[in-house]
Amino acid sequence: MKILLVEDDRMLAKELARALREENFAVDIAETGEDGQHLGETESYDAAVLDLGLPKVPGVEVLLRWRKQQRHFPVLILTARDGWSDKVEGFKAGADDYLTKPFRVEELVMRLRALARRAAGHAASRICCGALTFEAPTGQFELDGLPLKLTALEWRVLECLIMRKETVVERGLLSDKVYEGDVGTDSNSIEVIVARLRRKIGKTMIETERGRGYKLTAAQ
Amino acid sequence: MARATASLSKRLLIAAGIFIAVALIVSAVLIAFVLHRFVQSQIDQRLDAQIAFLSSMLQVGKDGQLKLAGTADGPPFDRPMRGWYWKISGPANVLRSGSLGSADFELPDVSNRPAPPPPPGPPPPDESRPLKDRPIPADGIGPGGQMLHYRIATVPVAGVRATIAASAPRDAVLGPLGEAMRTLAISLAVLGVGLIAAMLVQVRLGLRPVERLRRAIADVRAGARERVPDEQPRELRPLTDELNALLGENAANLERARRHVSNLAHGLKTPLATMSVALRKEAPGADDVQSLVLLMDRRIRHHLGRARSAALGSPVRARTVLAPRVADLVLVLAKVNAGKAVDVAHHISPTVAVACEQQDVDEMLGNVLENAFAWCRSKVSVSAGSAGRSVLLMIDDDGPGLSAEQMANAVQAGRRLDESAPGFGFGLSITRELAELYAGALTLRPSELGGLCVEIRLPAA
Repeated sequence: MKILLVEDDRMLAKELARALREENFAVDIAETGEDGQHLGETESYDAAVLDLGLPKVPGVEVLLRWRKQQRHFPVLILTARDGWSDKVEGFKAGADDYLTKPFRVEELVMRLRALARRAAGHAASRICCGALTFEAPTGQFELDGLPLKLTALEWRVLECLIMRKETVVERGLLSDKVYEGDVGTDSNSIEVIVARLRRKIGKTMIETERGRGYKLTAAQ
Repeated sequence: MARATASLSKRLLIAAGIFIAVALIVSAVLIAFVLHRFVQSQIDQRLDAQIAFLSSMLQVGKDGQLKLAGTADGPPFDRPMRGWYWKISGPANVLRSGSLGSADFELPDVSNRPAPPPPPGPPPPDESRPLKDRPIPADGIGPGGQMLHYRIATVPVAGVRATIAASAPRDAVLGPLGEAMRTLAISLAVLGVGLIAAMLVQVRLGLRPVERLRRAIADVRAGARERVPDEQPRELRPLTDELNALLGENAANLERARRHVSNLAHGLKTPLATMSVALRKEAPGADDVQSLVLLMDRRIRHHLGRARSAALGSPVRARTVLAPRVADLVLVLAKVNAGKAVDVAHHISPTVAVACEQQDVDEMLGNVLENAFAWCRSKVSVSAGSAGRSVLLMIDDDGPGLSAEQMANAVQAGRRLDESAPGFGFGLSITRELAELYAGALTLRPSELGGLCVEIRLPAA
């Protein structure tokens, strides 16, 4: 799961990215509205956290431009202004949720997970695929009812696959969702991660579609 | 200080009264003086004519005795003991008017007095023999203690010096003068009363623009108008210009202070957020710090709201149509609560409007609706209707509702400020404060849907 964080306060952005990475999220940071707009239009994200009080290009403007460019990833507005009029303005521009500063990181993480899950078309908070279950609100995977220990990269791959279970996920998309913007991607390493995952959840659940990508399936 | 706070019209009236009284008294004195001189000169002319007449008839006999060539007791010198007398003293004898009878009077010594200047006007026509010197005036007491006015002249008659004196009663001067002055005093008093009445009217009329200005300023204070109207009499224009400048400066200062408070509040929130995020869950005392962060946030929100409301009552009252505000807020809350299927019924006529700023309407409705969405099982209903000069807004939900005690606590200002659990209370007390700022009210009661019904009464627009 990959998040775009648009926040001009460097300290907050740094701390927030650290906290989100601890929850296994991949995080790209944009410190200005222009950068945020560009990343949102060119990269693939599961959700964006957008500060409204950005210098030069305000957050609402960034959001309007994304929506105009048909970028429909869920957007959570983060703002110091807690007035309802500000919220209404944000939502009219196309926001999906809001949090006012200060906020609890747990709350933000929970809301981002819910936004990403609903955007992927899952109404229920628990997603099952065979013996594998994903508790969306906590981000916890279970195999046969037992917690599954995963590294951050493994979690990102498996989360991406289970959100799109029974469909082929292209290698490029997978790589996009797993690696942060400034890390050089290596498609071979996706294969390594998938191999490690197969060892943990069983060989048959992740099918390789040659030349295209991978599919998480409950079919044996 | 008492002088400065005294009534303006009283000051004007007292000043005018003093001026009018002084002017009338001075003119009365002047008129009395002129009248006195006039009557006096009439009498003097008469006496002088008598002296001239006597002197023209005066002869000296062979024995050196003075005698008159004919009778000299023409009116009014023929009336006995009335004050109209004459007397001629020569070196050998004394002649007296018949009106004196057997009485006599002593002539005051006027030998060292200078002759008075001639009276104004042409000399009396009946002066047959011009006197060498003008007669000298004198006052004295005559027979019977009567006050007399004399004219005394010394004339040479055939080598003999004779002193001729003619007298008139003092009353002959004072009587007509007194009578004239009585009439004059009445006229002047009437004039004075008339002038003061005119002054009263003038002060009333003159001060009317001041009263109008006072009402205009009261309107500004009440919020009915933004500034004092510029159409003022020229004398008041500088005052209203200064007033308007002051009002403008005040508004700008208030706006600036508000912006500073707002910037301060929002400037604090990002570092607070950073602190909260930077705090690791497992760090010792993390929960305490998190509740402190929450407490700080609530304090900031509370005082930000206070600062905003202190600036409220801004002159131009706003008008906000409710229906679109409810629709917008329901849209926001439906999205925020996307995971919960909430059935929202809101049917508000597009004509229902309240006399509040949109931002405040959003705040009140948003807080109450947020609670309703959070606590409802599946239904929220919003309705509004006009009730006289106010609008009654009702937000119902089918949640667990509140007990009577909880209801009482929920709307108490700041009740939740120091509590960390989210829920009813903070938003409701903010809403109540805002509604009361607009002279409205917030009441809680059990809803027909089974949960809580929040009733907000706001002034209609």
